[in-house]
Amino acid sequence: MSEAAGHALQIRGLTKRYGDFTAVDSVSLDIERGEFLTLLGPSGSGKTTILMAVAGFVLPNEGSILLDGNDITALPPERRNFGMVFQGYALFPHMSVAENVAFPLRVRGLSRAARDEKVRAALDLVQLSSFAERLPRQLSGGQQQRVALARALVFDPALLLLDEPLSALDKKLRAELQEELKSLHRRVGRTFINVTHDQEEALSLSDRIAILNHGRLIQNGPAAFLYENPRTRFVADFLGKSNFIQANVSRREDHHVILRVGDTELRQHAMAIPGSTETVLLSLRPERIRLLKPGEGAENEVEAHIRSWSYLGSGFSIVAGLPGIGDIRVNAPANHAHEALRDGAPIRLGWDADAAKPVQEDA
Amino acid sequence: MDGSYSPGRSAQLLAWSTALYLVLPILIILPVSLTDQRFLSLPQESLSLRHFATVLGSPEWLHSIWQSFIIAVASTILSVVVGTLCAIGCWRISSRATELIRALMLLPLIIPSIVYAIGLYRYFGPLDLLDRFLGVVIAHGVTGVPYVVITVSTALAAFDPRLEQAARGMGASLSQTLRWVILPRIAPGIFSGGIFAFIHSWDELVMVLFIASRDVFTLPRRIWDGINENVDPAIAAVAMILILFTLLLLLLDQFMRRRRET
Repeated sequence: MSEAAGHALQIRGLTKRYGDFTAVDSVSLDIERGEFLTLLGPSGSGKTTILMAVAGFVLPNEGSILLDGNDITALPPERRNFGMVFQGYALFPHMSVAENVAFPLRVRGLSRAARDEKVRAALDLVQLSSFAERLPRQLSGGQQQRVALARALVFDPALLLLDEPLSALDKKLRAELQEELKSLHRRVGRTFINVTHDQEEALSLSDRIAILNHGRLIQNGPAAFLYENPRTRFVADFLGKSNFIQANVSRREDHHVILRVGDTELRQHAMAIPGSTETVLLSLRPERIRLLKPGEGAENEVEAHIRSWSYLGSGFSIVAGLPGIGDIRVNAPANHAHEALRDGAPIRLGWDADAAKPVQEDA
Repeated sequence: MDGSYSPGRSAQLLAWSTALYLVLPILIILPVSLTDQRFLSLPQESLSLRHFATVLGSPEWLHSIWQSFIIAVASTILSVVVGTLCAIGCWRISSRATELIRALMLLPLIIPSIVYAIGLYRYFGPLDLLDRFLGVVIAHGVTGVPYVVITVSTALAAFDPRLEQAARGMGASLSQTLRWVILPRIAPGIFSGGIFAFIHSWDELVMVLFIASRDVFTLPRRIWDGINENVDPAIAAVAMILILFTLLLLLLDQFMRRRRET
């Protein structure tokens, strides 16, 4: 496989309507050379429609798609030269693994010798050389997935499009193939666009995530940045878990804003809370909350009681009731003395002034 | 099926009598074809193959068998090409209009063949297709189309449309996709439709009675004439040959289906 640099893709104001239903609502997105971008959203968010428009199977009503600055919006799929891994893989059942991988080369009229060499290289890449003569149905789900990858990469495509590539696999295999997909991306150095509804997959695979809901692009950025700085309630809730606290601005001190929820005062970094704001919606990740030992202090301290808890192996998940605030989910590490975890037991919770992030209510 | 309840006595009785009802008229031909008498009857003293020998030794019968075979092959090719293209076209476009076209394609099955035959007679006269090989091939080919449309449409309904998307996404043109992806996947459906179209032509009588007379003299036509003129048991022997050949084709179809499934 040649070491051609990846290609850049620009999506400009893409809109797709089906009758009265707007599947994609003026989405604009720039995908850089060699980037691994994931379109993440619940079902019906328009992520697959965007991918299909990039692939050429869906003609948008408005907007354009540019590959390295050239408009390809109206180009039929067979002339775009994009590799694609379909949901369920779409391997040709009547062809062997080698014939499947050779298919894109065959349609390009390559000689048999040239084809064989490239097919061997592609199957080596996904470690399936010894399965070349098998039929797809004689392979496991994970192997089929790798055949689909080899087939999508064998013709040096400008882009690789992945439509829920791991959704059909069980959890353990999914984790393995995530690793493989990541290392494959590094090795081939091509631009990958992935679609998924699985936030863990998105976080672990992507250089950048674009979060979609109801056909709109809500926020996009590097995985860690999005997780730490969700713009809206939807993003905070969809990417990982979060607690939400509606608070009123009480007063300001040097670098902090003091918020009031019922009788409780919360201390929050003043950053990202504009001066005129009166009420704030805070997103507080369960793992940013600590169970305080007797005598231990924190910038924010609240009294609570345990409503329920469950053991997760790697730690505990606790639902704590806070008077005047409501229920809050807390993740505690496994080294916590769990004799103290009884339903109804009083606990003290604490978090730093920068732990909670102000987010916007969803439009 | 293992583990399921076996059906009750009355249900079994009903099933067996239905099966007998369907095959008895065919089974009665077997002893008659083996009769030792010189007229249509059950064997009296011993079984005999003399009527099979008569048929296979008669140039008229052999000529009709051969002619029927050639006509069936030619009209099957016509039915398969037209029916397959129509089914694929309707499947690809898939609109209300194509639903209508697909229904229209089934008309030859719905319209009584005698009505169809009268129509053909009117048109074939001026076109000089009466009593012509080509005329019979066209008539049988067109009326065989529905079988192919039905079986190919069924095969296409089971075809995963993502395979076509995958092929085109990898750069395949429409004709490459058709040749390398769609046709191999629906080949068993095309084959089944072809067999039905072949059988349809192979034992078709009513249209042949109208549009052929002397030069084209198919096997069913000769049987028909044989019954009208004399009650030679050779007819039973021919019928047996006809049945066995048809059975062979159906078994072939079953075999092909099974091979596809494993």
